[in-house]
Amino acid sequence: MDPLRSWLDAGEVQRLAARLIESVSDPAAPATMGEAGFDEGFVGFTGEGSAPAAPGPAASPLERHEPGHPVSAPPSASGPFLEKIRCFRDWMGREFAAAGVFILDREGAVIFHDGLDERFHVLARSLALASRRPGASTGNVHLKIGARIILEVIPVETACGCLVLGAVVPASLPPESVRTVREALAASASPASR
Amino acid sequence: MINLAVSSQKGGVGKTTVSINLAHAFARAGVRTLLVDTDPQGSVGLSLTRQSRLLSGFYDFLQDPGIPLDRLIVPTRMETLALVASGQASDYEAGGGMGAHLARVRAFLRGAAARGFDICIIDTAAGLFGATGDVIASSDAIMIPQQAEPLGIRSVPKLLEGLNRLRIMNPRLTVLGVCLTMVQHELAESAQAAAALRQLLPAEMLFQTQVPRDPLFVRASARGLPVGALEGGAGVQAVFDSLRAEIEVKLQPGASSRANAG
Repeated sequence: MDPLRSWLDAGEVQRLAARLIESVSDPAAPATMGEAGFDEGFVGFTGEGSAPAAPGPAASPLERHEPGHPVSAPPSASGPFLEKIRCFRDWMGREFAAAGVFILDREGAVIFHDGLDERFHVLARSLALASRRPGASTGNVHLKIGARIILEVIPVETACGCLVLGAVVPASLPPESVRTVREALAASASPASR
Repeated sequence: MINLAVSSQKGGVGKTTVSINLAHAFARAGVRTLLVDTDPQGSVGLSLTRQSRLLSGFYDFLQDPGIPLDRLIVPTRMETLALVASGQASDYEAGGGMGAHLARVRAFLRGAAARGFDICIIDTAAGLFGATGDVIASSDAIMIPQQAEPLGIRSVPKLLEGLNRLRIMNPRLTVLGVCLTMVQHELAESAQAAAALRQLLPAEMLFQTQVPRDPLFVRASARGLPVGALEGGAGVQAVFDSLRAEIEVKLQPGASSRANAG
């Protein structure tokens, strides 16, 4: 008796194997790499059942985010550093229904947080590191930590060095929103406007 | 530095044997090689050093990344080969899901690269989860030893599914392919299983080189040596020299694309 064929789905094996052979830079590969290090299939390391509850405001603000909804002007780039970061945090809440925001420096030290669980800081740092690729700018990553609760991690190059922004939002941010958030944080952290 | 994970879904397929002897083959070729044992069972250390139960190692670093890497790297009689044992922090094996230690695994590998190694060969525990998942998600390439027997090969679909999931986390991971181990040409079931797998998988997903089942491996393990260092081990060493050459070709830029085009 054939020791293999009757036990395996040959077509399935060949399909899985073919996907593994595709090179990342292979033009024939599916263009699913929207974010560095992770693609659309990535929904996180933990299942929803074991996800930690996201602290912060009640669930209702999480309902506000709608992709494509127009974004108001980024926060004003004047005033003391922490004040500007607080403005930035408020703006994130208004525009993206962020239930919590924190910012880490390049060493992983927390430079701003508004009460989110410290485990998120560690997670964000790991995700930011995981998304690094040699020779490429670091992209954003997101992690599903519960039903309609996403930890969005966005490394941002600023005048203060690379900062890692972590935000708890109800849905992963589309690329144009990520770009807007990056620009807003970079402006808020700019010493020229302090 | 190239980080090469030697991993499999199933246990007992020869990961440690392949890792040790492949590391020896690279080192013999003048490649500065670091062999890292990330299997909490500590099989590499138990195979090569009498002091393995005393050595700090990989899991100690994960527990305390403040430990200087130089304290973990054990030199060998070959100038180009060093190893890191799995270490004493055995409780670690029970803790942490996948992704929990990614940053520390990467810090470990960056530290190894900074010490001038050309290749880091990482022997992992069976399965593609937990710390092994973090190692694979931090590696440049993976090779999969697979015992040439029907039961082992039936686990291949699960292996491929797991690798596809890990490749979502680490899209730059190059899957070098499956290396058949413990091949017994004189045993019909083993030969048939090997032949069937060759028919099933694309050619570029399988190494041409096969590792035979050979009593020399047991003898080498008993003496704490790579098989190539044994008297009479030259024949088996040639197998690993061949495997090394295949890996070097597969790691060349564009190798996968060329294989697809061909």
